[in-house]
Amino acid sequence: MARRLCTRRWSGCRVAPDDLLAAVGARFGDDAAQIEYGTVTVDVEPAAWIDTLKAARDELGCTFFDWLCGVDELDDGIGVVAHVYSRAEHHHLLLRTRVPRHAAVLPTATSIFRGANWHERETAEMFGVDFAGHPNLVPLLLPEGFEGTPLRKDFVLASRVAKQWPGEVDPGQSAGELAPNRRRNLPPGVPDPKVWGPGAGTG
Amino acid sequence: MGLISLPDPKVGPGLLPQVPEPVKFLLNWGRQYSLWVFNFGLACCAIEFIATSMSGHDFIRLGVIPFAPSPRQADLMVVSGTVTDKMAPAIQRLYEQMPEPKYVISFGACSNCGGPYWDSYCVTKGVDQIIPVDVYVPGCPPRPEALLHGIMRLQEKIAHESRGGQWDPTPIGSAEQGGQEAVYPSVVRVPRGA
Repeated sequence: MARRLCTRRWSGCRVAPDDLLAAVGARFGDDAAQIEYGTVTVDVEPAAWIDTLKAARDELGCTFFDWLCGVDELDDGIGVVAHVYSRAEHHHLLLRTRVPRHAAVLPTATSIFRGANWHERETAEMFGVDFAGHPNLVPLLLPEGFEGTPLRKDFVLASRVAKQWPGEVDPGQSAGELAPNRRRNLPPGVPDPKVWGPGAGTG
Repeated sequence: MGLISLPDPKVGPGLLPQVPEPVKFLLNWGRQYSLWVFNFGLACCAIEFIATSMSGHDFIRLGVIPFAPSPRQADLMVVSGTVTDKMAPAIQRLYEQMPEPKYVISFGACSNCGGPYWDSYCVTKGVDQIIPVDVYVPGCPPRPEALLHGIMRLQEKIAHESRGGQWDPTPIGSAEQGGQEAVYPSVVRVPRGA
């Protein structure tokens, strides 16, 4: 359990971090709650997501919904993180869950916090998370007809594929100085040409 | 008194090259120093544009009049900032609303070529992919002096313009027109049939 505390984060807070951690641990289980980077963080299963948000709002006083977003955690799935805040007690709470990559479905939080509507729309279009029961799950920022989920790490950045990375991917790997036979590391967003593109499968 | 046969009025290169040189000069001189500008501010470059329009650099002294009420009353559009694929249709539509003759200055690295966001999934790689650009101003963001320089390059271009060329049906950048030509190390202009 990480115990690094960011004092600035707790300034003005009327609850001591350990007291809040104890309260959260008592409600959600000691294993789920921890302090990470100075913020009390709760990890829950997707099935308990709505109950957790509801408990944070009703029992822990976190009535202010700050934001909700996705995190691509590669083989571990797609993380969904929500940040809530208590305006009365001035404490923060970070709620996290994780859904599988290929079946990214999570019940919508709009029934608990109505402000989650646009956050979930953005997370849906950027990470491909389907928020079941969302009243209007259409793309928020992407232009019409956009295909793909651009903030997933396996999204192919076509410009990077077409044009060589101008800077250094690794130290000593700038384009001009590289020995021709040495394998060049690929920047994020560019798949291995052996498995993607016109040369796929050529070994 | 009998009927007088008058030529049919028409627009195009057939008639306008006959305009005498002094009249052409006068028309170009007038247009050169009354550029109502429409600022398409999209990012931090727009702040530099505003700085250029304020008293410190004051481009009104060059005859550039900012804050045109709508693109329909503007002669010059300055695209300053990051053009995204979502915004691109709006830029094209507002450009099409501008009356001829119209000019475009692409201000800053982002609207020139995508800038630091050249590899983004949502950024258009240069506003010249959707509308013709007369002057490119490089920089990230460029200093107001760079915009003043760009405006002066545009005015030089207008001064040497033949009005007939405005309606030249040859596509912009085609081989007949010689494509893009670099006239100055820092500013590239695309001929629009001048």
